[in-house]
Formats: sequence, C-alpha cells, structure tokens
Amino acid sequence: MSKSALITGITGQDGSYLAEHLVSLGYEVHGLIRGQNNPRAAIVRRIVPELHLVDGDLHDQSSLISALEATHPDEVYNLGAISFVALSFKQAINTGEITGLGVTRMLDAIRVVNPATRFYQASSSEMFGKVRETPQTELTPFHPRSPYGVAKVYGHHITVNYRESYGMFAVSGILFNHESPRRGLEFVTRKITDGAARIKLGLETELRLGNIDAQRDWGFAGDYVRAMHLMLQQDEPDDFVVATGETHSVRELLELAFGHLGLRWQDHVVVDERFIRPADVAMLVGDASKARRVLGWQPTVSFSELVAMMVESDLRAVTADLPATSAPAPR
Amino acid sequence: MPTVSRRALVTGVTGQDGPYLCELLLAEGYAVYGMVMPGEVVPPEVPAAVHRCEGLLTDSASLQAALAAAQPEEVYNLAAATSVAASFDDPVAVADVTGLGVLRLLESVRRSGAPIRLLQASSAEIFGGAVTSPQDEATPLCPVSPYGVAKAFAHQTVQLYRRSHGIFAATAILYNHESPRRGPGFVTRKITAAAARISRGIDDELRLGNLDAVRDWGYAPDYVRAMHLALQQEAADDYVVATGETHTLRELLDIAFSSVGLDWHRHVVTDPGLLRPAEPVRLCGDATRARTRLGWAPTRDFAAIIREMVAADLDRLNQAALPAAPASPAAPRREGPG
Repeated sequence: MSKSALITGITGQDGSYLAEHLVSLGYEVHGLIRGQNNPRAAIVRRIVPELHLVDGDLHDQSSLISALEATHPDEVYNLGAISFVALSFKQAINTGEITGLGVTRMLDAIRVVNPATRFYQASSSEMFGKVRETPQTELTPFHPRSPYGVAKVYGHHITVNYRESYGMFAVSGILFNHESPRRGLEFVTRKITDGAARIKLGLETELRLGNIDAQRDWGFAGDYVRAMHLMLQQDEPDDFVVATGETHSVRELLELAFGHLGLRWQDHVVVDERFIRPADVAMLVGDASKARRVLGWQPTVSFSELVAMMVESDLRAVTADLPATSAPAPR
Repeated sequence: MPTVSRRALVTGVTGQDGPYLCELLLAEGYAVYGMVMPGEVVPPEVPAAVHRCEGLLTDSASLQAALAAAQPEEVYNLAAATSVAASFDDPVAVADVTGLGVLRLLESVRRSGAPIRLLQASSAEIFGGAVTSPQDEATPLCPVSPYGVAKAFAHQTVQLYRRSHGIFAATAILYNHESPRRGPGFVTRKITAAAARISRGIDDELRLGNLDAVRDWGYAPDYVRAMHLALQQEAADDYVVATGETHTLRELLDIAFSSVGLDWHRHVVTDPGLLRPAEPVRLCGDATRARTRLGWAPTRDFAAIIREMVAADLDRLNQAALPAAPASPAAPRREGPG
C-alpha cells in the first residue's frame, strides 16, 4: 500500500522539492495551503501536478485537525514557517505564532487525531546563532540571535518533548542553509544570482548587499529533502544535522555567480548598511557525520555547481520575461 | 527615600510571588500596578495599595493599554501558566501565555519607546534535563516539559531584546521557591497542608508521585528580592536565584510530618498516576552571580521554610469554621493572566 504524506509550507522552496521526491517514491502527497486564493498554489501545482492541496493554517489548530482527518497521512513534514530572518525582526510576534507555536499546534493535532503519525520538524542552523563551537553538531547548545532563531529553538524543543513525553515518532532535522533556483528572492543567494543575471542582461547595473563577509554552509535543497524523508524511515526517532560541512562567504558566492557570467562583482556590488542584520550570527558550519553514518545521506551538488545552477536558471527566467522586441543585447 | 515615587507594573499579581513582590515594592516607596485578567478574583494577599489594571498576555493591545495606564519604570513579568504537570495537558495554551506572552510584552515595551526595565521570571525548568549540576547562567537550556519549553522561549526572547533592541530586560532564573502562600497544587504545599490536616484527624492519607524527586527549594520572599535587585543594576543580565542545596521529597515529608509529631510512612501512598511524563533529573542552582553582583543571599533554610508552611496550614485550620485548605491533589491552577 502506498504511503501518504502531508507537507506544510508546500509553497516554499523545500515544499516543492520534497513533494516531487515523495511523489517519485510512490507517495500520495498532500500540501497544506492557507488563505483564500493563495497565488502560490498555482505555482506549486505546476511543479508537482500529482499534489493534492488541503486547506489549513498553522495559526489555527482546528484547521490542522481537519486537514489530518481529511488526509490520514503516515508522515507529516512541518516546513511551514516565517523563514526569513530579517522579516522576523519586523514581525516578531507573528514569527513566534507560526514558526514557534505552529509546531505545537501541529504536534498536538497529531496527538489528538493519530499519534502513530510520524512527524518531521524543519529545524534550522539559525538556532545555533552565536556559536560556542565549530562545526555544530546535534549536541551544540543553541544561542539564537533572531526572533526566527528563537522560535525555531522552541519548535525543536517541543518536538523533542513530544517524542520523549508522549512517545511520538517526532524528529527534528537541523538543516543548514540550502538553496536552489526555487529559493525566494529575499534570500541572499537568490538575490545575488538573480541580480547577476539582470546585470548580465543589462537590466540593472548595481546590486546592494549587507555583510558580504558573512559565511554560511550552503547546500542544495534537493539533497536536503532526501534527508528529511530518510529521518522518518528509521526504526527509532532521532535528530540530525544536515549540512555540507563546508563554509563559504558571500564574497565567494559573488565570485562564482558573477564569474559564471563573465562579470566582475566588484564593478556592481554596493554594500548597504540597511541590509546588515541587527545581530548577525557568526560562523555556521554543520557536522553531518551522524546523518551520513545513520541515514546513509550525503550531498550530491557542490557549492560551485549550486551557484552555476542558480545563475543559469535566473538567466533563463529573466530572459524569458523580456519583451521580445526590446531584449537588450547581453553585455 | 526618593522624592518622586517610582512606578512598577507587576503581572501575575495573584500568584504566590506577586503579593510578596508588591509588598516589597510598596515598602520601597513604589506606586505599584498589578495586572489582572478581566474578571479575575484578586486574593486578599494582594495589598490594597496595589492599583489594578486589566491585561492579558495573550492580547498585545491589552498590554499596551496596561503600560499606558501604569506608566511604569519597571515591569515584572510573573504571569505564566505555572503548573509543569498541567502543561502536558495543553501545551498550546501554555506556549501562548508563558512563551509568546513575554514576546508580546517585550514588543509592547519596545513600541512604547519608554525606558522601561523588564524583569522576566525565568524558571529552573528551562534546564530540565541538564547534564551538568549545579546549573548557572551559562548552562545550555534543555527543557523537558511544555512548560519548560515555553519558559526557554521566553528566556531567549528576553536575551534577544536585550542584545538586538537595547532594552533593559533581565531574567531571574528562579529555582523552586515556596512559602505559606504557595498554591495547593504544588507538591510542597500539598504535603504541608496534608500534614496539618492529618494531624487534626481530618485526613488520613496523602497520595504522591515520585518520592525521590530532588529539588533546590528556596523561600519566595527571598526570591522576589533578587528580582528587584536585578533591575537596580547598571546593565541587564541573567541571574540564577537558588539556594544551591537539594533535598528530596522524603526529606520534605520528614520535616513536615515530624513538625506535627507524625511519621509520614504511615500516611503516604505513592501513586504512579501522579508521576510526570518526563521528570527532570537534578536541578540545583549556582547563584554565585546573584550573590556577588546583587549582594543577594537566602535568609531561610529548607527546614525553616517547611515548618513555617505547616504552621501556617495549621493556623488556617484553626481559623476556618470548616476545613479550608485542600489536602487532595487539586487541579493545578493557573497563577496568572492567560
């Protein structure tokens, strides 16, 4: 009998990759969608035509119970969150409600409807914040530096609590940054690859960024959703760091993205204080040894391949959007 | 004495700590505002001089209104759903009040633009499953109950607002603290009330969970003093407030029952139904920072606290025409707005 899954945050980057992956494994996949006439529903439907959408909102626990009763999933993947760190400073309460309390609402809905349902919580390296050790493992203490990070720590702790106190199969995947051509434009990687493509096509001349010395451990989202699925196929529930173990700076990302298009980033990038976060996190780099050992997981896309993939995709997308008659010649 | 009286807003004023803190602040010359839930019954322990204003930690607009009404220089957030055991029954509500409530309060403080100092009553439960003992301010958080998880969220939110928004927001990481005013749902009071009732022949039996549970128990009036001191410093920080001594429930039973001439072994029945789903291991606080920087020290030892509680429960029995102090495990109650 084929398994079924319910994914929250289906319209986000990871939602569509995970849905594709689960469909390829023969799952019946349901995506939780919120709001009336959500414009992103059509986009995710186009990417994953086999997907079933079900109404529900992490703000509203009874809507989660209804969604679970309607879909009877074997597995729930909670990817829904206000996931952009800068926005979390402006909407701290909303972030606490969705990114934090939303996890409890879903866990409690599962406890009520069918506690045998397996639950995956999308935790984040932002939980480590001001790190005390490098690289970070499943045992590294959390010192979150943003409302998003604090809310994700809450989500992680409550997931562990439901596992230990109620005996539920609830796991937390501590995912380091993961990117793809489907990354939202508000994130620095995509902002850079999109910006480089626009500059290449003569649509823009400059790109404004915050702290270009910031370093991150960036992987490919398509690789990371495989780890999420593997975590729910184990005999015992446990938490795993998912990361490449390599760190790169925004500067290196700029070199690769602009270099791929034959451009010099120094000619176009302007550092803008406004984009510097109130409290930036230090060096985040994950140690995924446990995921490699226990899950047999490993990344398949390198950092330079990832950046090239994103730049190529943005170049195609921006070119396709150009009016046919007025397409400027590539620089 | 200050010529212009300072103003303080206290949430959770109807709990155990609220009245003690109000008494202390009034004695220091503060104008004290107590935030109560709409329709909440205010117990007689809350001093009459405390001005009441309504507010709910689940409602940002009501918090802004309470701040506007009280115009405080200092805010003490004692409100929470305080029962660890009950937090397993409704983790969502606990998170909303005990966790998100603090975020709403801090956002309201930030938006007010006023130089308000805030004291968050954090809890040793944020360390729940800590692997090291004693714990201090640098011990990694490891909560093991929905209550502890929500308190950890509140604790880290306070630290975030201190660092990122420059708000004078301090935490007092309070270990268990008891007094004659402890609610009847808490194990210390449950024991002292039962010892009093059994000594009077009103009851014969006391049902308890894990008798080997170990806690660092202090005296509530000492602990509210630490909260006040934490807001009188040059900079905001986190302070563990604890005695540094641990005792078992067995020791507590020994002291409580022997103070009324009884042997607890003849009256106590252990009931597995009263065990918590996940019991913290060994919570013992290292209050070195509070002792050195705040000049704080506890004034009552464990035996004195328990004996005082039993004596107060006996007094209540004497004063009541009918027995008033509950001896059976009362439903864990909420001690504050929410």
